[in-house]
Amino acid sequence: MGKRRNWYLTLGLVLTGLTVGFGALGLVWTPYSPTAPSAADRLAGPSLAHPFGCDHMGRDVLSRTLSGAGATLSIALAVLAIGFVVGVVIGALCGYYGGVVDALVMRVCDAVAAFPSVLLGLVVIAVIGPGKYNVILALGVLFIPSFARLTRGEFLQYRDRDFIRAARLMGVGGLRILFRHILPNAWPVLLSGLSIGFNNAVLAEASMSYLGIGVIPPDTSLGRMVSEAQSYFVTAPWLVLFPALVMILMILGAGLVGEGVRERMGEG
Amino acid sequence: MAEPILDIQGLDSWYGRGRARRQVLRQVCLTVEPGQAVGLVGESGSGKTTLAKCVLGLVRDWQGQLLVNSPRPQMVFQDPHGALNPARTVGWFLEEALRAAGVGDRAARRARGEEMLGQVGLGREHYDRKPAQLSGGQRQRVSIAAALIQGSKLIVLDEPVSALDVTLQAQILRLLAQLRERYGLSYLLISHDLAVVRQLCGWVCVMYQGQIVEQGPAEQLYERPQHPYTKKLLAASLALE
Ligand SMILES: Nc1ncnc2c1ncn2[C@@H]1O[C@H](COP(=O)(O)OP(=O)(O)O)[C@@H](O)[C@H]1O
Ligand SMILES: [Mg+2]
Repeated sequence: MGKRRNWYLTLGLVLTGLTVGFGALGLVWTPYSPTAPSAADRLAGPSLAHPFGCDHMGRDVLSRTLSGAGATLSIALAVLAIGFVVGVVIGALCGYYGGVVDALVMRVCDAVAAFPSVLLGLVVIAVIGPGKYNVILALGVLFIPSFARLTRGEFLQYRDRDFIRAARLMGVGGLRILFRHILPNAWPVLLSGLSIGFNNAVLAEASMSYLGIGVIPPDTSLGRMVSEAQSYFVTAPWLVLFPALVMILMILGAGLVGEGVRERMGEG
Repeated sequence: MAEPILDIQGLDSWYGRGRARRQVLRQVCLTVEPGQAVGLVGESGSGKTTLAKCVLGLVRDWQGQLLVNSPRPQMVFQDPHGALNPARTVGWFLEEALRAAGVGDRAARRARGEEMLGQVGLGREHYDRKPAQLSGGQRQRVSIAAALIQGSKLIVLDEPVSALDVTLQAQILRLLAQLRERYGLSYLLISHDLAVVRQLCGWVCVMYQGQIVEQGPAEQLYERPQHPYTKKLLAASLALE
């Protein structure tokens, strides 16, 4: 066990901490109202009063970035919560018990995974209608297959190991074997899957907001801010710069954490 | 004599399904009396592990008579790396066996776990270690402790020392002999190595291509082998010494 510093993990945790803190703050506090227009401040550049400047309606960009980051973060986390929890349970059961149900479920997963999730998300939204909660539901369901597949692979690999047989002989019940004996061994892989999933969720939310579904104006998210800022890209670059920067740091942080976890587990 | 703790008569077993179904065990007869250590020798692929798995209910595709007169017989596996959960500590694994057996009291589980660890020659300092922090011999001791901790009387040992070097083999075999005496255990000891079986078992069965071709008291089998395959095994093991 070397004392070598795991820079990926350290940097990743710092970035994740900062961006998550930023988003969490945005959910409870913003210096100005993120939705109140002000004709006098239209497209005002960064200043002491408005460090990130103001947008085409004179709204404070810092306030909007804060609340947008909060929205993006909470959507991404909610999507992950659905996709991860359901995916892990399905994958664990399929991998451990196998059989016809497993074959069937994995067929469905393959079929869903064959399409880009944003495209499928659009189809689902077209059916159930736009809005934050529908986006969460649509993306969450679409994230299930990848987590199910990842988890299944891990559980399949452990199911015939001697220590699992030993547990069965001891009389340990099936669910306990799944979640107390196998799951702790699968964590490293699932955690790095979670970091990739987080990034995909942030990007999927951004793409859907960019396409104008998801968060409904005047509420905002990082993706929607970037989308709305595109016509001012040259004249007011701060409109796109700050939300994009927060999004990039958010993704970078989670990616580094995933890389760091893999590196640490690889050593151990 | 008392009822045998393990009584197998005319056991057939198969692997695979449909057209791939292949018979692995043929008409196996074998009994283990309470307190007895029975050896099962045979070359790799002869079906020894399959027989063990039938006894423990890990293989279900069998026909014949198989009576186990012991609650929850346990198995000690060959590979000490695979037999312990890499993500869990030694103590957790031992306590898990007790939890499964319905020992509800935490302190009682810990005390029993530490005591059992002492019985296999390990100390309290090993209790909170993960398998990766133990040597092969230590891991095998933990596996033995886990197999015994529920109080099972019938223990199936599948090549318990094959993965260890000779000095360690002798240590573990001595430990197994002590534990048998102390707890009145019955062993079904599987090995491809006649010398290992000889150290522990009074009765030896020789398996060849899924059949028991010869069985009898150890001395008799070693002095006057009847079946050509037993003679071959003996010659090979003498050549090694
Ligand atoms: N899970 C399995 N599926 C199909 N065949 C198997 C399986 N396990 C073992 N066999 C076959 O059954 C035979 C007996 O194997 P095994 O009982 O492991 O022998 P031994 O323990 O004596 O080396 C071998 O021919 C082996 O290839
Ligand atoms: Mg074997």
